[in-house]
Amino acid sequence: MEFYLKVLEITCLHTILVLGAYLMTGLTGLFSLGQGGFLSIGAYTAAIAFLKFNLPFPACLALAVGMGVLVGFVIGLPTLRLHRDYFLLVTFGFGEMVRAALLHLAQLTGGALGVAGIPKLIGLPTIILSIVVITLITACLKRSRFGRNCIAIRDDELAATLMGIPVYRHKMTVFILSSAITAYGGALYAFVIMFIEPNLFNWLESAKLIIITFVGGVNSITGAIVTSIVYYSFGEFFRFVDVWRDVLLAFAVLLVTIFRSQGIFGNWELTPGNLLFWRRKAG
Amino acid sequence: MDFSVLLQQLFNGVSLGGVYALEAVGFGLIFNILKFSNFSHSGLVAICAYLGYFLARQVYSNFIVTLILTTVAGGFIGVLIEKLIFRPIRLKGAPQTLFLVNSITAAMLVQQFFSATLGDDYFPYPEFMKQTAFHLGNLTVSKTYLMMLSITAVVLLLLTWVIRRTRIGIALRAASTDIRTPSLMGINVDHIISSAFFMAGVLGGITGYLLGMTYNVDPFIGSMILKGIIASIIGGMGSLGGGVIAGLLLGVAESLLIAEIGSSLTQIAVYGAIFLLLMIRPEGIAGKRYIIKA
Repeated sequence: MEFYLKVLEITCLHTILVLGAYLMTGLTGLFSLGQGGFLSIGAYTAAIAFLKFNLPFPACLALAVGMGVLVGFVIGLPTLRLHRDYFLLVTFGFGEMVRAALLHLAQLTGGALGVAGIPKLIGLPTIILSIVVITLITACLKRSRFGRNCIAIRDDELAATLMGIPVYRHKMTVFILSSAITAYGGALYAFVIMFIEPNLFNWLESAKLIIITFVGGVNSITGAIVTSIVYYSFGEFFRFVDVWRDVLLAFAVLLVTIFRSQGIFGNWELTPGNLLFWRRKAG
Repeated sequence: MDFSVLLQQLFNGVSLGGVYALEAVGFGLIFNILKFSNFSHSGLVAICAYLGYFLARQVYSNFIVTLILTTVAGGFIGVLIEKLIFRPIRLKGAPQTLFLVNSITAAMLVQQFFSATLGDDYFPYPEFMKQTAFHLGNLTVSKTYLMMLSITAVVLLLLTWVIRRTRIGIALRAASTDIRTPSLMGINVDHIISSAFFMAGVLGGITGYLLGMTYNVDPFIGSMILKGIIASIIGGMGSLGGGVIAGLLLGVAESLLIAEIGSSLTQIAVYGAIFLLLMIRPEGIAGKRYIIKA
């Protein structure tokens, strides 16, 4: 039973990260390889605040989210005007900068040895609550006018500008929100996994978040969540084939993009209306 | 910094920069024609590094022979990647983002495949020559670096000749300007794209072999290609010459900085400088500014 609980914790943690990536990539079409940087910022801020400065635990979480928002603002300010490929590389550079900075500031962050001995203060209820709240926020955002504007930005930026959508402001809002969610996920990560190091989440892991979003379907939050749950719990259950997990994911993505490019779930969302499918027979 | 150290690092930097330049050109060729960032190039480089290792260790341990074999194999692997990964979605008229996703997936596939099958150990290339360095006054000139530099120079000159003077080169340049018009002129665009991937594959093969020879082969060797991609961006997305210059600059800057301030600060400095450069001049050194038309 303990094992299943642990798997659930890890899966939900990563699903929070996927939701953050979904907001950026699935909803607004911003490809960012720097999610790992925000995760590290959130994790290290929370851990160092708790262990070295002995701040109360909720304050550590709030501080981590605040740092994520601040760094997101600073990084997003100049980079969101760039073309998609440039943005991808600049965020990659940001992720590498964070990693190099964490390695360099060894007195504060422990350098390559990381920070160990973080107590386990987050249990399953907190994680489940977090994931429910974040899913609700994402779903409400997606269905609102803001969400529709973001989808328009994703599909055709020039047309969105012509329709009067303030593209830069929307992108900035999404970027800050996504970095806040990722930093929060990072802070949770520190207190659940109890050990963090600079190489925790490199650019490939960030790329995996984007890929999971695309497999699930960019138009479907359900798709992102389900794919994330399947991928991360699969990895935990089948530990003996863990090395092949990423190869299988890559094959799945290639199959999906070639044969079903709208993603496995397409436009389908898990809403009560969609579940009662026998009601649709009317008219 | 001491003058001899400066000269030494300059030389190392130019050789390293040569490899970055090769990567940048291989990346830029695909970008010019299909207008997307081909991250699968790093997968190609990794495959060729491993291939070169196995050829050199198990089959025949001669530098020139294995280099040529790896290069040719790299070209064919490039065409294979194009046929399996990019052609199906291109024929279906996929949006640009899907190409990017596929290319990142291909890179991840190769890296994790090697990590899964051959493990995370290092594989060292065999020693190709007895004395790996000779001394020129105060400098230690590494023969490997010298070889890398000369091979890079020869390959780039060859590529320039192909692009400027041969029919396939002219067809490539035509396709870079507009992908559909050459088909109106009677040129088979599918063949052009396959040839572009072949050439990029050849470049990737050489890069993989040289990188594998210099740094030992492990699954993450493909990540070094990212420096080349960055060089291509700094040089200007549309320009191969700019990519070469930027690659050399990046190599030299990295070598000099590492000698001066150490490895982790160098990373911060280099990425920070790229950040600033892209802010001030997003089109790079020699690129054209993007105008998105309706």
